[in-house]
Amino acid sequence: MTDPAPTAAPSAAASVSDMPFDTALAELQGVVGRLEQGNLPLEESIALYERGVTLHEHCARLLSDAELRVQRLVESAGGALRALDLTPDDAEDA
Amino acid sequence: MSDERRSPLDPERPWNDWLRPAWDEPGSTTVPQPAPVTAGPRILSVVEVTREIRDRLRAVPLLRDLWVEGEVGQVSLSAAGHCYFTLKDDRAQLRAVIFRDERRAIPFEPRTGLRIVAHGRVDVFEQQGAYQLYVDMLQPAGLGDLALRLEAIKARLAAEGLFEAGRKRPLPAWPRLIGVATSAQGAVLHDISRVLERRWPLAGVVLSPCLVQGDAAPISIVAALRRLAAWRDPSTGLRPEIVIVARGGGSLEDLWPFNDERVVRAVATHPVPVISGVGHETDVTLTDFAADLRAATPSVAAELAVPARADQAAALRALRARLDAGAQRSLRHAGDAVTAEGRALDHLHPAAVLAGERERVGLLLDRARVAMDGRLGAARTVLGRAGERLPLAARGRVVRASTSLHAAHASLLALGPYATLERGYAIVRDERGGLLRDASTITPGARVDVRLARGALDARVEHVRDSQP
Repeated sequence: MTDPAPTAAPSAAASVSDMPFDTALAELQGVVGRLEQGNLPLEESIALYERGVTLHEHCARLLSDAELRVQRLVESAGGALRALDLTPDDAEDA
Repeated sequence: MSDERRSPLDPERPWNDWLRPAWDEPGSTTVPQPAPVTAGPRILSVVEVTREIRDRLRAVPLLRDLWVEGEVGQVSLSAAGHCYFTLKDDRAQLRAVIFRDERRAIPFEPRTGLRIVAHGRVDVFEQQGAYQLYVDMLQPAGLGDLALRLEAIKARLAAEGLFEAGRKRPLPAWPRLIGVATSAQGAVLHDISRVLERRWPLAGVVLSPCLVQGDAAPISIVAALRRLAAWRDPSTGLRPEIVIVARGGGSLEDLWPFNDERVVRAVATHPVPVISGVGHETDVTLTDFAADLRAATPSVAAELAVPARADQAAALRALRARLDAGAQRSLRHAGDAVTAEGRALDHLHPAAVLAGERERVGLLLDRARVAMDGRLGAARTVLGRAGERLPLAARGRVVRASTSLHAAHASLLALGPYATLERGYAIVRDERGGLLRDASTITPGARVDVRLARGALDARVEHVRDSQP
């Protein structure tokens, strides 16, 4: 049942825009930790900072922009499953 | 008629076959009868009479499946674990027995003086020539049938360990897909959606509709859970990481499907953690016991399933502040290194040549640092304010603030000991070639030399303004 792929540790070059919130947050925590440790070359510090800013913005955007998606499972006669989007009205009135 | 205890007429008859006369055997009608067959009343054996009574009794539907209420008289337990007792009222009494296996499934024991309702069948115990009630269900008088069944199922499943705390699984901290097994009609899905929309809209919801009331509900609920266990979103690859089983409030009868053993087992063995939100605060079903987490209502179940957006926004703000502070510290260290480098150069070159350069470097660095601190400070303030209102429309400001931060960093990267005046700074010298730092050291009308990135200006001071604090 576990699906390891989405939770795998992201590489340094991982695209932030596709990251789930928790992955981006975890990386941001790591970035802050490394930056706070200090003793890094200036270029590396700045690269870390920029990465941190990108991660922060991504997380903030997810928090403010996310819209709940509700789907409904439908099982065909053969047992195959598919999901249909439900609008909020459907959820209320269906 | 049939009787499993009949045995062939042979020397190896069961030990207890002495009960039965030899002619009481299948196909034994030709065995010589002990009484005259030609005339007069036929003389019956005891067992024949008993069997006749037994068969008549068994033919009465009411006696095959009945509830009877009465007071418990004498109670005795056999060595084999069967319980014998009498059930009586002020006019009659009835012998009753609960066999060992039934006793295990019944949550309480008959005690003398207790008023009870028993379910079972009436049959004849041939050996003692007695009819008695064979009990398979027992409850205190006045208690509903459902309550008793609930206790019976609960006791049995608890004995299996289905409700043990050790079985409870931790909930995932960041569920991306939440399965919901509930009715497609009704307010429950709406309530759950509303909570998730407010609290954590980052998660997706997949409804697996089912009946939540009536005889068909248990099978329907089990099927809904099975669909959620099998579901994998083909576009995102996500599976439900947590499942909410929910239903609105109702009577014990209404909620009964959630006490059904099949449902309880499906919840306990579901591949991902299950939160139950069945009924209102006071309603408790066996599904609640089997779930990994019990919520008082469907809305509370949704609350418990996800993190809170406000908490995460606050955590994010704190991280951002630490990020900015860390970056500032790195910049300060880098600035110190540049100054040290300048001093080293000082020792290597003739002082006259280097004095100006050293001054220039120091000047640039000072200004850069002030500029950086100012920008970082301003950006932090904007970010802090924006963060508090993140759920609102403050995003634009966050983006603008971080853009200015990026610019600040780019300029710092360009800043080396001999990185020149590209960034728009100028060096101003008086007529004697000395660097000007303080407006008060020059008077209007004085000529000054202004060095730019490319070229220089010969300029005259028009007016002197006091330095800004």
